Amino acid sequence: MPVDPMLQPLVAGFAVEAQEVIQKVTMDLLELEREGLENDALARIYTRLGRHLHTLKGSASSLGLQDLGDIAHKLEDALAPLKAHTQKMPRPVVDVLLHGLDLFMLRAQAHADGRGDDLPNPAAALAQLVAAAPPPEEAAVLPGGAFAQPPPAAQPAVAGAPAELSASLEPAGESADAGWRVSAGQVTSLMREVERLREVRLRVEERSRELERVSALLAKQGLLAETAEARTLLSGTGRSLRTDGEETSDIVDALEDGLKAITTRPTRTILDPLQRMVRDLSRQLGKEARLSVVGAEVSLDRRLLEKLQGALVHILRNAVDHGLEMPAEREKAGKHHEGALTLRVEQQGNLLYLEASDDGRGIDLTQVRKVAEKRGLVTAEEAARLNDNQVRELIFREGFSTRSDVTDTSGRGVGLDAVRATVESLQGRIEVSSTRGQGTRFVLTLPVDLGSSPVLMVRALEQFVGLPMLAVESTQLARPDMLRVGKRRTHLEHQGQLLPVVDLGARLGLRASSPPAEGQPLLIVQSGGKRVALGVDAVVGDRDLVIRPLPSEVREVAAWQGAATLSRGELLLILRPDWVVSDSEKVTVSAGSRRALVVDDSLTARALHRAMLEAGGFQVHLAASGARALERLQADTYDVVICDLDMEEMDGIELIARLRERKDTRTLPVILVSAHDSAVARERGLSSGADGFLSKRECAAGRLLAEVLDVMSRRGSRA
Amino acid sequence: MKATPLVVDETLESETRDLLARRAARLREQGESAVEEAVHWIAEFPLGEERYALPLESLRAALPLRMVTPVPLSAPAVIGVLRFQGQVLSALSLASLLGGHGWRQDPAVLLVVDRGDGELCALDCEAIPRPTTLPLASVEAARARAEGPVVEVFTHDRQLIHLIDPKRLFGRSDGGVRHAR
Repeated sequence: MPVDPMLQPLVAGFAVEAQEVIQKVTMDLLELEREGLENDALARIYTRLGRHLHTLKGSASSLGLQDLGDIAHKLEDALAPLKAHTQKMPRPVVDVLLHGLDLFMLRAQAHADGRGDDLPNPAAALAQLVAAAPPPEEAAVLPGGAFAQPPPAAQPAVAGAPAELSASLEPAGESADAGWRVSAGQVTSLMREVERLREVRLRVEERSRELERVSALLAKQGLLAETAEARTLLSGTGRSLRTDGEETSDIVDALEDGLKAITTRPTRTILDPLQRMVRDLSRQLGKEARLSVVGAEVSLDRRLLEKLQGALVHILRNAVDHGLEMPAEREKAGKHHEGALTLRVEQQGNLLYLEASDDGRGIDLTQVRKVAEKRGLVTAEEAARLNDNQVRELIFREGFSTRSDVTDTSGRGVGLDAVRATVESLQGRIEVSSTRGQGTRFVLTLPVDLGSSPVLMVRALEQFVGLPMLAVESTQLARPDMLRVGKRRTHLEHQGQLLPVVDLGARLGLRASSPPAEGQPLLIVQSGGKRVALGVDAVVGDRDLVIRPLPSEVREVAAWQGAATLSRGELLLILRPDWVVSDSEKVTVSAGSRRALVVDDSLTARALHRAMLEAGGFQVHLAASGARALERLQADTYDVVICDLDMEEMDGIELIARLRERKDTRTLPVILVSAHDSAVARERGLSSGADGFLSKRECAAGRLLAEVLDVMSRRGSRA
Repeated sequence: MKATPLVVDETLESETRDLLARRAARLREQGESAVEEAVHWIAEFPLGEERYALPLESLRAALPLRMVTPVPLSAPAVIGVLRFQGQVLSALSLASLLGGHGWRQDPAVLLVVDRGDGELCALDCEAIPRPTTLPLASVEAARARAEGPVVEVFTHDRQLIHLIDPKRLFGRSDGGVRHAR
């Protein structure tokens, strides 16, 4: 039946709206199919379902799409008897309703594309729907048996259904006529400008604070009369600047929210259709599966979602097809007959974590090894040398996943190379973990780089770092009665649980680990279901910051996810919460390694000394001044100190004098280094009590290390 | 009678002078352009006792070495990260990248350099570099002889310059920087 040309633009809008309504109906049907729902909940879903179907019917008929109206009517008929009795919906009825929805959508799309004339006769479509109904004996047990009856005569077009029509078509009509078509690049560059504006806003805040400081300084001068006018002017300007800053802040927030609304959409939009996919596939394979989604409300860049959809379909299909066992096998293994699939979405800072897990049979590593060998991906010798993680990595290899018989052996791997390629094309990474008999877990980590994120700024020694606020559950001060100090690590008793305490300074390699001091701030950090108490030296405060990706030279450092610009233009490194909660035991340096403290007010000199000493097997800590070095030496013990002779405030000679006064550092080997390469400087350094002296020119690779070892050996023999 | 040939001679002489002057100017121009074609512009700076240089075309900016945020757990050659024209760049120790090198004074300058792969990074440097030239033929010959990221080239006045090739320096298998976890 041809659509009235006047109505054609509305039909396109209707198809979009219908897609959304059908998605809601699908979710409701899957919910009704499940066991264990209370009657009230069932009744609510049936009511909602009826309303949605009625809307579809009314809207279709209003546009003269009689075939769609008839299909919707048929679906309503099937629903009516079940609605009256409020009970779990039998699977065959769900099948028919889902099939009917598919049919509805296909035809709606064809009408929208102007292909309505080419569609087969609607009567044939309806007959097809009826044919898909449960067989009579099965239908008999269904209340009503709606599909066993002949279809009712076609209803006349509901020309006057203003409420339904306006509810379903108005937004589409408006968007078709009043919208703009903008390229993704244009929107992204607008977002970049908003991000810059946010950084400008931070600078304005800083200028305002500077003005306050100037006013305060002028007030301290004592020349009150002479500076009165200037102070009045300054404080007036300061107030205006603050007000302007606050207004700018509001505008930036509004702009960012608006742009995010345009550029992002809830993850639900790609996750909901997966419910149907899981249901259909598990039915087809004679399995039972239930997909739970956590974090579907997280909104993400539309382009990212589109690319991820295919990857998630792949992973879930694999999980149902090869991961989950048959119901009988599961029960035999002591599991619930229904397999559990979980998708968890979490955004922390500019990182997105997507976790897909199943409680199936897990990856059979022996089989993976065999298959990889058989397919020539690894030799027998190579396979024998691979550890479990490396074997699991084989399932992402191209040759592995493209073989059709791989699934018969390993039970994993089909198309996973494509999944990894997609993730890597988005600058992300994918990891897999699996326990035999218990299940498999894939974690996708992807950068999300549009807009700002709330960040908590903390300090460890002199290093300021940021933590995505979403990863910080709470903050508290350390109290001895809440700490359980063990030989290897300390735990915090928190809400009935023992959480490992991680010292941020030690974790970053800035100092040796020690239990938190009383009153030290502890942050409860969570990521991927793991929690730790993170000990920091100070909590500075929270900020809304734009996190930018790190350059290639530091991108692979697991601790950091990006850097954000602060008010003066300096960068703040942002920690990865998953790294914070990961097992820190792996990175602790063995107790036997020698420790050196480098004291230099030059950042580059510290970096160079560190490089040379680490190459020699030393664990190196750094201090930017003599005072900081004394603090470090009070908290930690070192085998050698390498100290710059010429530093502001406290030079190397004064530092040595202070060290020699203290009993615990009296014999500590100290090597002075200096940019002054003269006999006078050398004499001055050595006479101050230094064990060695090197000019910075002499600090070439090997020379510093040789001097350090020589000095330590001399001190050792004297001791 | 004598005056006329004299005038002709003077005219000829004047024309000849102009002609010769134009020819000389042309040759001078050719000479200058020939010199430009035959040199390689570099940014030269001291590193310890030696003279190093980067191709001038790879240099984007010279900045004071400040506002650099150290990156704990990064590779030894990484001094930190800094913000440059809205981008986050790595500041790298050139002495460390070159395998451990002594220095005369603590670096106070950062040179923003195109790595040769479209990305920028900053290299530390003891002093603001000086733009100068090297004979192009010497540069090409040195590059043909050596495969490493640094080639030795003599200047016109026989001074030895260690010329860094950023593309080779950062294109090494370790990316010029070892990563640490």
